[in-house]
Amino acid sequence: MANRAQIRTSNSALIAMIADEDTVVGFLLAGVGNVDLRRKTNYLIVDSKTTVKQIEDAFKEFIAREDIAVVLISQYVANMIRFLVDSYNKPVPAILEIPSKDHPYDPAHDSVLSRVKYLFSTESVASGRR
Amino acid sequence: MEVEQEKPSLENVEARQQEKQRGEEVVVVEEEEEQQQGVEEGEENANVLQFMDSMDAYLTLSHSLSSTLRQGWLELASARHSMGASRVNTVLLDHKFHPAATTLLVTRDEGKVDSMKQHFTLCKWASSGNEKCSLGEAKSSQDKLHPQLRHRGSSQLYEEKTASEHKASHEVDDQVQKERSKSLSVFGTLVSPKLRAAQLSFETALETLVEIANTRSAMLCAFDKVNKKLGGSKG
Repeated sequence: MANRAQIRTSNSALIAMIADEDTVVGFLLAGVGNVDLRRKTNYLIVDSKTTVKQIEDAFKEFIAREDIAVVLISQYVANMIRFLVDSYNKPVPAILEIPSKDHPYDPAHDSVLSRVKYLFSTESVASGRR
Repeated sequence: MEVEQEKPSLENVEARQQEKQRGEEVVVVEEEEEQQQGVEEGEENANVLQFMDSMDAYLTLSHSLSSTLRQGWLELASARHSMGASRVNTVLLDHKFHPAATTLLVTRDEGKVDSMKQHFTLCKWASSGNEKCSLGEAKSSQDKLHPQLRHRGSSQLYEEKTASEHKASHEVDDQVQKERSKSLSVFGTLVSPKLRAAQLSFETALETLVEIANTRSAMLCAFDKVNKKLGGSKG
């Protein structure tokens, strides 16, 4: 109980995005975009010039921010920082992997499904039957 | 002699009665243990079912999200084709200070004090104090507008209440349309209908994403319970 993460409850939390241009533009049309007084945005547009370091920094920044409740990340971008995404296990912000135009969603790579799939492995079934 | 013979038989009867009592107690304890096991198994089954249900919902919603996003991308590509690539571009995005119009409300799941399950609610076009996700506010604003309605006849009261509800919902819709237009105005005053359609598709995608977030939360909660039980049975 002492090691459980605190759940943040929030009245107006933001949705952050790390995705390709079209996905980000689409969600900005839906009113998700936020620019604070320091001109910091809640999104990172990933293109061919974006480095892995920039993606890592943006991910770390978004999961540390108190005002962000959900982080949308294109699955192909999440694959570039898979070790970071899979090691994240807090309830808020929720990390949701989404498809992109050129990379359809693959449940096999989803970090949440990877976490729970071991329940279907032969080891866990055998140990449950003992 | 006869008294001595009676004593052992009385002792035998008492011993047999005590044994019978002990036997009955053991049976009662065993029945209670079986009942307890039954309850635990029932809870375990319920947790497993909840986990499987939420996993199924998660996968179904992910599939639905893919379809909605595909439609949105297609509409955005059509808008870019008709308006020109320079008009539907991230270069035009506003980098001045502005708050998000669509936000989330995060609450802890009620019921259990130590519950780790959180609930997300989407508040679309919530700027300018117009919170579409909060129905309670619309009702209280109607009461503020017409306090004198309480003193009129019941049928008249009902008609006027319905009219005021319609008026309030029209006002809310007008506000939402204004917010949508404000969001579209980043790409110019006159925009392609495809861009408006793309906006609606991505709004639908947002609603699906919030459902996915809630399903994910339920799935991880159920997974923790099932995992604890498996961990307990291993030890």
